[in-house]
Amino acid sequence: MDEVSGAELVLDSLKKENVNLIFGIPGGVLLSLYDRLYDEDQVNHILFRHEQCAAHAADGYARASGKVGVCLATSGPGAMNLITGLATANIDSSPVVALTGQVSTKALGTDAFQEADTFTVTMPVTKHNFLVKDVKDLPGVVRGAFYLANTGRKGVVLVDLPMDVLEQKVRNGTTKNLNFMGYKPNLKPNGFQLKKAANALVNSERPLILAGGGVISSMATEELRAIAEHLGAGVVTTLMGKGAISEVHPLSLGMAGMHGRVPANNSIAECDVLLSVGTRFSDRTTGWRLEKFAPSAIKIDINIDPSEINKNVQVDVPVTGDAKAALGMLLEFLKDAKKKNESKEWTDRLREMHDSCTECIKGVGERNPIDPRWAVKEICGFLDNDAIVTTEVGQCQMYAAHYYTARSPRQFITSGGLGTMGFGFPAAIGAKLANPDKQVVDIAGDGSFLMTCQDLATCIENDIPVVVCILHNGHLGMIRQWQDLFYGKRYSSSNLGVTPDFVKLAEAFGAYGERIEKTSDLRGGLKNAFSSGKPAVLDIMVDEEDNVLPMIPRGGAIDKMVGVEKCRCM
Amino acid sequence: MQMHVISALVENRSGVLTRMSGMLTRRDINIQSLTVSSCEKMGLSRMTITIMSNKEELEQAEKQLNKLVEVVKISTLHKSSSIIRDLCLVRVNAKDTKIRGEIIQIVDAYRGKIVDISLNTMTIEITDDPRRIDKLIEMLRAYGIKKLLRTGVTAISMNGANGE
Repeated sequence: MDEVSGAELVLDSLKKENVNLIFGIPGGVLLSLYDRLYDEDQVNHILFRHEQCAAHAADGYARASGKVGVCLATSGPGAMNLITGLATANIDSSPVVALTGQVSTKALGTDAFQEADTFTVTMPVTKHNFLVKDVKDLPGVVRGAFYLANTGRKGVVLVDLPMDVLEQKVRNGTTKNLNFMGYKPNLKPNGFQLKKAANALVNSERPLILAGGGVISSMATEELRAIAEHLGAGVVTTLMGKGAISEVHPLSLGMAGMHGRVPANNSIAECDVLLSVGTRFSDRTTGWRLEKFAPSAIKIDINIDPSEINKNVQVDVPVTGDAKAALGMLLEFLKDAKKKNESKEWTDRLREMHDSCTECIKGVGERNPIDPRWAVKEICGFLDNDAIVTTEVGQCQMYAAHYYTARSPRQFITSGGLGTMGFGFPAAIGAKLANPDKQVVDIAGDGSFLMTCQDLATCIENDIPVVVCILHNGHLGMIRQWQDLFYGKRYSSSNLGVTPDFVKLAEAFGAYGERIEKTSDLRGGLKNAFSSGKPAVLDIMVDEEDNVLPMIPRGGAIDKMVGVEKCRCM
Repeated sequence: MQMHVISALVENRSGVLTRMSGMLTRRDINIQSLTVSSCEKMGLSRMTITIMSNKEELEQAEKQLNKLVEVVKISTLHKSSSIIRDLCLVRVNAKDTKIRGEIIQIVDAYRGKIVDISLNTMTIEITDDPRRIDKLIEMLRAYGIKKLLRTGVTAISMNGANGE
């Protein structure tokens, strides 16, 4: 008979979406699906050691490749373990499809073994989710999940799959389609609004562009660069927007925000027209005093998600639509418009700001104990120009954001919105699987790495040679920093005390490990790590008292940073 | 802060009510009332949600709800161009004939109905604009309210008015 099981339908649907990698862990209710995977040669399943890592890996894969990442976990604890990963991906608009097993439909709601209400629990951390109760719905739902995850503002879509639905058989050709009548991913921007934006920009004396992650996810970097060059506008980015413009471009001023560069933040305060693209104006970007955020500027905001417009910052020219389409149209309007002369004063100011940052980074020198900034700079100098850097969260993340120079999009992968410690390592696994020929490095802290390090086993098992560079300071560094600066040096629970021997830890998994205690050893350590051909952990002992400065203190305005004397940027 | 009435046309799928109420809760928007039932279109339901908010919060509420995949259309109903109704059942103390007479007069004036009488109480039903119901309840408070139930607001725009 021409009958197929639910499990086969799921696999067929995945193949139709060109999925060749799934990150997951099996479980009782998923046995039928894993049984199908056993014979499968088109779809490769990577077995993880914790579901959270499977989700982060799918997310890292998506961010590095621009394709949808897929993760798979069983019911109850499996699905619950995924949640941190789903929330991380969703808040950063990363396209991920999560498949979860569920107890049989007849057992739903009975508190059966390994039952958790995944459908309800994941609603707030996904763009959309499904609980499939009829096997005939499966192909439509899976197709829909990929469509929703990868259109409009991208995000996470979860499909909950009860055991009996996966096992049921259905005659070929009797499956149902699904349509989403209320879902209109608004892609075509409004020309009238863009003309208004163009008009404001050509009449501007001090134009500035704020680029967010949306520029990267819509692949609008070329358009962005062209507009910046056409106008002579400075470009600052959010953390998620790092790589939206090459950071060696003379108009690039680096990252703005709470831990942003002084010139980037000052330029926001000084500009007279601010063109923001693909950013949601998070508090980490704007500082806390919104009335001080680009106070005298005409604000143009291009966002694919209408709910982001006027959510945090009130704007003058809202444009709803895809960044690439909108910037493309805007560039045409700008070329048509009669351009005023560039203000030499602003051009000079931008150059001065860019150069001062370059000098500031250059000025970070060797010292022992190792300056973590220097370590990141040294790693960056060692890596190929197209290498991918992922980060954990905290001080290591901010050092990486400032001292790793991104030349193109999808090179810098970090948990911006949720700030998930433990993200960087599994995300690096996903990024490496998406780009086997590129170097992939996780810039980690000793606190973060311990949260997900068990998946070194996954790297060894599947021969995934990512390199973890731990900036080891024995502390939850960013917590320590806040206690140092704002809580009278009372280091409550931020000292990690006894940290493991990361070299032995790496070796125990079968990975390469090396401790770096002097600046002179770092380059050799990097060479050893990469030439080992194995997953590697470099345990770099850095100055434990170092703080990420300058910064905007809590409650502060964007142009009132503390610790400005610590850097040479102007 | 002001009461706003949002009318939502949504796909009638399992979980849509949780999604809608969850979205508002998550964005710290307090729901005053929420009613839902099937409507003239197959497979769709109409929800009427009232919230207390300022203009910016209302705009956010509409946009956030609109983002939900199962939401087909969101519109805000303006008081001046909509018919807004609430149904209220209220039981008041009414021990002697004099008081009963008074209550009947008041209820008549508000075009309500007496739907149950016992030795000590009267039960009143009224369907009207919620603000008029508020006023009736105020009047009845003097007699002692034993029980009060309201269905929550349902509303429709006037023909030709902007919205639906």
